[in-house]
Amino acid sequence: MGKMERFSFVALVAGIIFFLFADFVSWALPMFVLKDIPKKSVIDLAKEAKAKNTTAWSDFQKIARAYPEQFKKYYGEVNEESFAKALSVGHRWYIAEGCWNCHSQMVRPVSNETLRFGIPGVSNTVSYPSEYNNELQAPVLWGTKRIGQDLIREAAVHNLGWQVAHLYNPRNTSPGSVMPGYPWYFEKDEKGNIVPNERGIGLLAYIMWLGSWEVKPPKDFRIEVANK
Amino acid sequence: MSNTQELKNLVNYGLVKAHVAMGLVFFIIVALMGFLYSLQLDGIYPFPGIEFLSPGRVRMIHTAGAAYGFLVNMFTGLLYWAVPRFTGYRVLSDALGWFMFWALQAAVLITVVAILFLGMADNVEWGETPWWIDPIIVFWLLLHLIQFGAPLYKASQRGPLYVSGWYISAMLVWTPLVVFMGNLIPRFWSVGSGAGAVQSTFIHDLVGLYVTPVAWGLMYYFVPVIMKKPMWSHGLSLLGFWGLAFFYPMNGVHHFLWSPIPMFAQYSAVFATVAVEFAVTSVLINFMMTLRGSAEQLKYNVPLRYMYTGAIFYWITCFQCAFHVTLTFQKIIHFTDWVTGHAHLIMFGTFGLWVLGMAEYIWPRLFGKETMYSKGLSEGAYWLLGIGVFAMFVDLTAGGLVQGFDWIGLNPWIDSVNFSKPFWIFRSVAGIMMITGLLMYAVNFYKTATAGKSLSAELKSQSV
Repeated sequence: MGKMERFSFVALVAGIIFFLFADFVSWALPMFVLKDIPKKSVIDLAKEAKAKNTTAWSDFQKIARAYPEQFKKYYGEVNEESFAKALSVGHRWYIAEGCWNCHSQMVRPVSNETLRFGIPGVSNTVSYPSEYNNELQAPVLWGTKRIGQDLIREAAVHNLGWQVAHLYNPRNTSPGSVMPGYPWYFEKDEKGNIVPNERGIGLLAYIMWLGSWEVKPPKDFRIEVANK
Repeated sequence: MSNTQELKNLVNYGLVKAHVAMGLVFFIIVALMGFLYSLQLDGIYPFPGIEFLSPGRVRMIHTAGAAYGFLVNMFTGLLYWAVPRFTGYRVLSDALGWFMFWALQAAVLITVVAILFLGMADNVEWGETPWWIDPIIVFWLLLHLIQFGAPLYKASQRGPLYVSGWYISAMLVWTPLVVFMGNLIPRFWSVGSGAGAVQSTFIHDLVGLYVTPVAWGLMYYFVPVIMKKPMWSHGLSLLGFWGLAFFYPMNGVHHFLWSPIPMFAQYSAVFATVAVEFAVTSVLINFMMTLRGSAEQLKYNVPLRYMYTGAIFYWITCFQCAFHVTLTFQKIIHFTDWVTGHAHLIMFGTFGLWVLGMAEYIWPRLFGKETMYSKGLSEGAYWLLGIGVFAMFVDLTAGGLVQGFDWIGLNPWIDSVNFSKPFWIFRSVAGIMMITGLLMYAVNFYKTATAGKSLSAELKSQSV
């Protein structure tokens, strides 16, 4: 027993060997299992959104149309590069404001979550590994606490006007909400209207991008296309 | 007299005082931050529309500050007291100790500035420090390893180490690995669900492989010293340590059950977490049996009472954990306030009360006094802190169940927010109790440190 109670034995066996064994089981193996899923960079995500013409891409164009001055000033033209920039800016401030403390980004296969989040019949899927394999999920934003709703199926649930009003003051759209308002994501244009600034546009683009890869055209639309 | 002199040469009193005092300051700051955040949920946030006092940012100071400002400071201070005393050797270097002290305060202050004013945070819970601080923290922890590793290594050349030595030796090796792995791997070498698995291990390992072993190591030192008798069973000490060392590192993934992490990792985490409960129970039995025959000391010895109250809260938390870690419980309680209640009972109710008890034991001794300045403040703080944190735990646990069932029931989301509001208001009230207790505790500390010589002489004559 004497040997077990020495510094070197404890440091080696408990400190290193047990630790490495546990990490082998709890993250080296999962990482190995998931290693074949390609990792996407922000620009890949932007290109994908444009190529597939997802709701995120059309929402980004809507932002540019709704706030042309601010968009031109901060992001220039509507293209993949400016979309990638908006996603990075939005992601950065989403983390910096601690949005992830109250909004999770993971739909579990239990507790009716697939019915609650997203649009039933349009985007109601459980979270799966490959949708997290991108630069904007390193580290992942699953979160551990919900005070507000989950956001990983947020795309196409609310439109741009709702998102802007909600971000400025959540009580505008959701009476009873305890979320703080974020007026510093807005500025005044020449006419005195309150419009999103650089960070605001980024955050709106980012939030409306979340889950856009899951949004499918509504069923009747698909039937129409099939009939053609 | 010569014994006291010898111990004085062994322990650097200045480092103990500095770390414990800063730990207490940060404890009060992070408690205020948590209280401020809770006001947002009650709808009466005092600083709406001010960017750098946004509740989301304040909440990150609450968690990151609790980890690095409060716990690391407190534990390091207590280690500077305990390690030289039970090993019989000084720490590696006093100069290194002062360098580490200032480096730690600087790291915490930089983190606060970065999170509040620069919008730089990291989305790792408990690792909200901006990623460029993390290598510095790892380096700090390596210094911490050699600083306290030196006396432990020297002592184990002479013979077997005491139980505290095992826990602290293992912790010294684990912590730099944990911080490196948890903060840097998910950012640079892994992504997606694999990163999620690493992150979950970090969330748990900073608790399980830093806070828990250092706190148990200190408990194994302070409890027998205060009661002036050995631990009840050496066998149970061994069982508790090796059980913790083997099963605890595997617990992490239980933070992300039902997530896209492969199921085998989730099952292993559930199994290991239930196993940890047995190791914890063996430790608790050991401490309770040590108390047998000395229980009346709890009546007048406030530090000892802090420690045993914390130990009971610890057992409650771990017992609760063995159940709510199962996939069935997770369906209801995941993402709810239940988890918040659990986290507060363990971090404040157990580790908070433990370090406060230990600090209250050593504080008068550091200033050559026999007792704290005021028995009334001491007792008052104990009861406010203990009742406050337990009330908060019960409240949040109940609130969590309400939220969980409400979400399953597919009611409009705002219903769960409205149902939670009374629970959140009660939580703020419990928070006021806890903060009042902390302030009373701090006043007592300040008065003890600054009390004149006459006070200590008077106390000495009384206590004889």
